[in-house]
Formats: sequence, C-alpha cells, structure tokens
Amino acid sequence: MKTRHVLLLSLLAALLLLPLVEAEARIYILQIFIFLFLNIVLAQSYDIVDGAMGYLNLGHICFFALGAYSFGILYNAGLAFPLALGLAVAVVVGFAGAISYPFFRLRGAYFALATFGLVKLMEHITINLGWLTGGSNGLKIDPADRSMPVYYISLAVVVAVILLSWRVSRSRLGLAMNAIREDEEVARDFGVPASRVKAQALMISAVFPGMIGAVYTWNVNFIDPNQVYGLKIALTPIAMALLGGSGLLVGPVIGAVFLYLAEELLWTHLAHLQGAIMGLVIVLVGLFMPGGLARLKGVAGLLGWVGWLEEER
Amino acid sequence: MDTTILVQLVINGILLGGVYALAAIGLSLIFGVSGVLNLAHGEFLMLSGFLVFVLHDTFQWDPFLLVALVAPLFFLVGYAFEKALIRPLAARKEHVRLASAVLVTLGAALIAEDFAAFFSQDVQFEKSVDLFLPTLVIGELYLPSLKLVVFFLVMLLILALFLFLKFTFLGLAVQAVTQNRQGAMLNGINTTRINAIAFGIGTMLAAAAGGFEVIHSYVAPNIGLPLTMKYLCVIVMGGLGSFVGVALGGIIIGLGESIVGFFHPAWGQTVAYLLLVGVLLIRPKGLLGT
Repeated sequence: MKTRHVLLLSLLAALLLLPLVEAEARIYILQIFIFLFLNIVLAQSYDIVDGAMGYLNLGHICFFALGAYSFGILYNAGLAFPLALGLAVAVVVGFAGAISYPFFRLRGAYFALATFGLVKLMEHITINLGWLTGGSNGLKIDPADRSMPVYYISLAVVVAVILLSWRVSRSRLGLAMNAIREDEEVARDFGVPASRVKAQALMISAVFPGMIGAVYTWNVNFIDPNQVYGLKIALTPIAMALLGGSGLLVGPVIGAVFLYLAEELLWTHLAHLQGAIMGLVIVLVGLFMPGGLARLKGVAGLLGWVGWLEEER
Repeated sequence: MDTTILVQLVINGILLGGVYALAAIGLSLIFGVSGVLNLAHGEFLMLSGFLVFVLHDTFQWDPFLLVALVAPLFFLVGYAFEKALIRPLAARKEHVRLASAVLVTLGAALIAEDFAAFFSQDVQFEKSVDLFLPTLVIGELYLPSLKLVVFFLVMLLILALFLFLKFTFLGLAVQAVTQNRQGAMLNGINTTRINAIAFGIGTMLAAAAGGFEVIHSYVAPNIGLPLTMKYLCVIVMGGLGSFVGVALGGIIIGLGESIVGFFHPAWGQTVAYLLLVGVLLIRPKGLLGT
C-alpha cells in the first residue's frame, strides 16, 4: 500500500470510529461533524459545475433546499426513510434536468445572475405554497435524535461525492466539461454535445446536495424557507469552494474544513459583527487567493506528497 | 373588472417601477463597463438611505436637499470601492475574475449589512423620513404627490444620465468602453479610469434611489441583497447594455408587483423572479438585448 492509501484509510477509520467514543458532549460533537460534512458536500458538488465546467451556479443551494423539502413532505406522507430519500433525490435531479435547458442558454455573468434569481424565486414559491410546505411557518417531521445514523449517512455522502468527482474528472464527460470551460465554441466545433454535457453535469452536481438536504431535514426535524434558502447557506459553500481552490479535486474540501472550523472555533463566540467578519474573510479570499488554499506552496507540496489529492478536475 | 382600479394599479406600478429603474440603470452601467456583477449595489442604496435618515433626524433639513447632497458623496464611495476592491482583479482570467468579483462584492455587502444592523441595533429596524404631502385626487384616482415628485426626479436623473452619455466626451468614452474595451483602449481612452467613473456614477444613482426609498417608503439593514437581486432581474430582463430596456424592465416589474400584489398579496414579491425566468425562456438576451 502506498502512503496515500494508508493516510486516507486511517482518516476514514478514525471518522468511522468517532461516534463510538463515549463522551459527555457526544451529540454536540457529532452535530459539529454532521454540519462539517454538509458543508463539504455542498462545496464539493458545487465545484463540479464551476471548477470543471466554468459555470458560476449561484443557485446551487436550490438543490439542497428542494431535497430537504421533498424529503420532509414525503416522509410526513408516511414513506419509509430510504424510499423518501430516494424519491427526494429523484425530484432534485429531475428539477436540475428541467432547469438546465433554459438556464444553460445563458453564459458567464448572465448565468450567474439568473441562477441567483432562481434562489429567491424558489424561496417565494416555497413560502406561497403553504398547503404543501407549511409556508413561512416551516415544515416539521416527527422529532427524534437521529445523530448516529445521520452521521454515518453524511459521511457516506461525503465519500461518495469525492469519489464521484474523481471518477467524473477522469471520464469522457469530465474532459468534455473541461473543454467547455476553456472555450465552448471550439468545444462545439470539435463535436462536444455541449447542451447534453452541461445538463449531465448539472444533474450530477444536484444528486448530492439533494441527498444531504434530505438528511438535513431528517436530522434537524424542522425546516423553514429562510433556513434552507437563506443567503448565508446559499453562498458559504461557494466561498468555501473558491477559498479551498476551485478546479482541484480536494480544494472545496479544504476550503470547507478551514472556513467551517474557523467559524465554529473563532467568531461564533463574538457577540456582535459575526456577519461582518464572515464578509471580510470572503472579500480577502476574492482579493488575494484566486488559486485558493490548496494551491499555496506549502499546502500544494503536502498534497503532492500524499498524492492523488492534488489532481485537477 | 373595474377600470378605475386597473388604472390606479397601473399608475402605482409605474411610480414604483421608476425607482427600480433608476438603481437598476446604475447597476447596468457598472456591469456594461466593467463586466462585474456588483452584489454590493443594494448596500449603497441602503447606506445612503440611512445617511439621509440620520442627517434629517439630526439637522431637520429638507430630505430632497439631503439626497442632492448625499448622492454626489456616493460617487466618491463608488470610485474608491472600484479602486480598492475591483481593480486588483482586472488581470485575471475571465471566469476567475467573475468568481472573484462575486466574492469581493458579496463580502462587502455582508460587511455593510452587518455594520448597519449593528448601529441601528436590529436587522429589520425600518427607518423612514417623516414627510407628508397631500394626495392629489383626480376623479376617482388617487395620486400620492410624494411618489409623483420622486418619479419626476427619477425621470430627470435618467434624462441627465442619457444626455451625459450622448453629448459629453466622458459619456461617449463610457459608451465606447461598454461596446468594445480593446477598441476604446486603442483610441487612447483610459479604460481603467472609465471603470472607476462608471462605478462612481452607478453608485451615485443607487444612492439617489436610496434617498428616495427612505422618503417615500423605508430602509432597513437587510434590504440590500434582496434589492440587488431584484435589480439584477430588471437588467437581465431588459437586456444588458440597453438603458431603454432596463427602464422598461423596471416599469414592467413595478407594474407586475402592483397588479399581482393587489389580487394575491403573497405573490406580489414573486413577480420579479417569475418574470426573470419567463423572459429568459423566451429571449435569453433580455427584452431589448442584442
């Protein structure tokens, strides 16, 4: 076995064993990890469309929110957990397929704009369809502490999203996506079926936020539009992906871990101006680190030593 | 249905759409020149509204006079904003520049919102200037004079901008950069400076709109980003680079909100986003875009 296998497997083993440790604040620790996993999944799946294909999808959170709501509604209708989860993911992927045609007629800033508008549109629709979603009062499912299963499912989704990103990056589809990022016209001229590729990429990037959205509802037992469509949750994963290093396989993971831990450990303890500090961090990321943390010299060297992780999408 | 109500709704919608159009034209100008999606645009509107409110509260000066004083100040703010935060990104690759500009302006928006909330103690604390003008009644129609005055001033500002772009050297340079950056550069236009000037003008228009908002309705710390998104809807609908299109987009959204809001209050605010997606389905480049 190579070094990288040993390292990755021991990290995975540690994460698998973590919930078995008896500790006073076990549920609190599990919840911290569950939200870390949530952020990793959102950032990593976001970067499938941005990093690999060059489209800035500011509405990525719609997939998460739609997954959360579909699951909540289906679960309340009496469906078993796996069935509700599967159907919720199907709804999200269907939605991604449906919006891909109108939205991918747009390029660059237009696309970013329109997807940003989509978040608000979905939020308003969710609020207004009160008979289905509970409107602004939110949606409840029968409350229970499900930290243990949620932890393992979230971890599985994290592993799945990373493996699939890697798989896609080495496939024909990944190559076609890269070609579109570099120059869509040229890609078309060389026979890349751009519309189909873009639709596939969007649908792949929708699977995991849909899944983790369903798990989120199952975990917190209560969701409302402000919570799942809010600007903070909509934009933090994007900041994470870009902070870590968009276009690198492990970039969004690093960004998510870094930003989430910084927030959890440092400024949630402040009484005021938490949002301003978050904003300042985002500004600094935009100004100084276009390549992201993973492309910094020291970090890149370390990743190169482990191997595999530093691969481009 | 009753025609009077319909006419009344149309008038309300146009009056509402005018202010949307003003701020959206500012945003469209910035995007046209620099290619940057300025997500902090609504924050300048909010900050200017607060400034007008505070000054009015302290000195009791006429709010319209205060708008005339505050708006030029925001030209400098916009100019400095471009210089400090947008210019450093200029050399990056197209797609990276778009992403970093989104990050930078978004971060700035979060900072502005949080500081405004901090100083006014509450995110949803609404501030408005107390100014009362009698309502004009013509037949069965009610015309709020305050909104009429604001609408008149908005039109005046849009006309002034139009004349500036059409008849001054600087205005022509701004248009040239919008149309073809390289070409403008080859003709000796300092495109870097034009970028900053466009940001200044755009921000000034947002600040004027902010002053008007605080006069005829209200401002609150958390209105910035939602408003920015609404303006983005307006300019995408109208077509980027077309001022007539943007003005039209503003009026259409104002009309939509007024009419739909009357019959189904809950759906009123949804109209902008529905229209956005609807228009994009039919015309990806907006109503009057080329």
